[in-house]
Amino acid sequence: MLILGCGNTDRSDDAAGVLVARRLQQMGIAAQEFTGDPLALIDAWNGAGEAVLIDTVVSGAAPGTITVWDASKTPLPPEQFCCSTHAFGIAEAVEIARALGRLPPRLLIYGIEGIRFDVGGELSPEVAAAAERLAGEIAGVPEGEQSKRQSVLLK
Amino acid sequence: MSSTAGKSRTIKVDCLARVEGEGALFVKMKGDRVTDVKFTIYEPPRLFEAFLRGRHFSEVPDIVARICGICPIAYQMSAVHAIERALGVRIDPAIRMLRRLFYCGEWIESHALHIFMLHAPDFLGYPDAIQMARDYRGVVEQALRLKKIGNRIVTVMGGREIHPVSVAVGGFYRVPARSELSPLLEDLKWALDASLQSVRLVAGFEFPDFEQPYEFVALSHPDEYPFNEGRLASNKGLDIDVAEYEEHFLEQHVKHSNALQSVLRARGSYMVGPLARFNLNFARLPEVAQQAARDSGLSVPCNNPFRSIIVRAVELVFACWEAIRVIEAYEPPAAPRAAISMHAGTGCAVTEAPRGLLYHRYRIDDEGLVQFAKIVPPTSQNQKRMEEDLWQFVPQLATRPTDEVTWKCEQALRNYDPCISCATHFLRVHIERE
Repeated sequence: MLILGCGNTDRSDDAAGVLVARRLQQMGIAAQEFTGDPLALIDAWNGAGEAVLIDTVVSGAAPGTITVWDASKTPLPPEQFCCSTHAFGIAEAVEIARALGRLPPRLLIYGIEGIRFDVGGELSPEVAAAAERLAGEIAGVPEGEQSKRQSVLLK
Repeated sequence: MSSTAGKSRTIKVDCLARVEGEGALFVKMKGDRVTDVKFTIYEPPRLFEAFLRGRHFSEVPDIVARICGICPIAYQMSAVHAIERALGVRIDPAIRMLRRLFYCGEWIESHALHIFMLHAPDFLGYPDAIQMARDYRGVVEQALRLKKIGNRIVTVMGGREIHPVSVAVGGFYRVPARSELSPLLEDLKWALDASLQSVRLVAGFEFPDFEQPYEFVALSHPDEYPFNEGRLASNKGLDIDVAEYEEHFLEQHVKHSNALQSVLRARGSYMVGPLARFNLNFARLPEVAQQAARDSGLSVPCNNPFRSIIVRAVELVFACWEAIRVIEAYEPPAAPRAAISMHAGTGCAVTEAPRGLLYHRYRIDDEGLVQFAKIVPPTSQNQKRMEEDLWQFVPQLATRPTDEVTWKCEQALRNYDPCISCATHFLRVHIERE
């Protein structure tokens, strides 16, 4: 399974996906950080039977809320994946890949609700906790064990 | 007589699509007469010039790279050249060639994105590249591969594909070995062929019959198609050193926009970008690009802004050809960057971003701290000309339904590949018919 954590570590909560990938790496699970051109995702997941992608979203839900979409079946809500260059973000990359027949057979997208995106700012506590919780969920760590590791993530 | 004759209507696009950043367009018509055009950049001011004050000159290339995700190299190039002028730094010829290669990477990724993913849907009748991809799969696949090749050049040269980190005043923090550049050649040779196919594809589009008496402004160099060096020239007699830029160009604030609008003090609006470069520097294009342009039906001067999509494709040919030339001739410099002797100074530079002229000026004190910074992006310079195009173009559309007028207005603005995020220091379209 391919795991891609997306985001920008210089923009506060936008770092959440990257931090989930780093946390999974600490657990010995192969996960990649993805901080480049969203259209490059189409090559990044090329050949993967199953892919998981984690990114920060903005929907108006409570900070730290985790939402999951099966993008292999339904389009993503583009307005929630709004940070992109020249109108091509993750939602658009998924739809172009779908049009080209280049989506993995199974593509799960986890969105962690962000609240602050200031340059050089810290992760909000709710988002840090959600990133740890999601890393644990993807790794199959029991929920009670996850909270002990939160301090590691925040470093 | 059309049903719209004598009526007033407003064409309004609140958030222009397929451009970078946030802007809006408002067009007011009475019958076939345009009574108002406002190209509004409402993205908030980003204040980069103020961020730079008090920072050490060595930090400038990394800070200005953050102005744009698609043309960070342009910002880095104008910055280092301006600072090098201020400090009297002379760069190694091999560094100069590496900077041209770096710029080729940015032009390839930016032009491939705009030609196929942002502008082609207008000509082929699709609302976006996603819808277009279902019917033009091969074209979109080709565009993605071209963009990827541009990204690879930027990554090899700059450490990463967005906001590269290798550029230093005087050169680079690290220069590539020949063995790192040579593997790019095979992809670039494919990209050159794909670019030639692209010229043929876009030359087959239908273009509105619309020409304007533009003043085109671009860098002009005696020996090469311009990236980083040359005099500032126009088709109406401008021929100045870049140090004279502010004597001839004026930035103006207009109430409806958060981006300053640039004008030539003597003659008003002007156009920068691919069409300007092509018209002023056609003779410096390599034969393969000149021939592709001739075969596509382009001639000099080209005064139809809608044909800029063909010119971009010709520049794609050039950028691939130039990248191959630089890599094949590459010998690493003796040192990755020149030594710098610190003293106070002021310097300015103009380089050719994918969208056109990018002017920077810095004043640095004797400790190397930036005391003043001025940045004039290409979209600011084209902004007034974009509005003037609509004043002239919309009357041709007077009898057409509002949704078609709206579509064509957006297409006309996308001729300029506007980068609103860069300009704030911008798209929504609103057309009102009385």
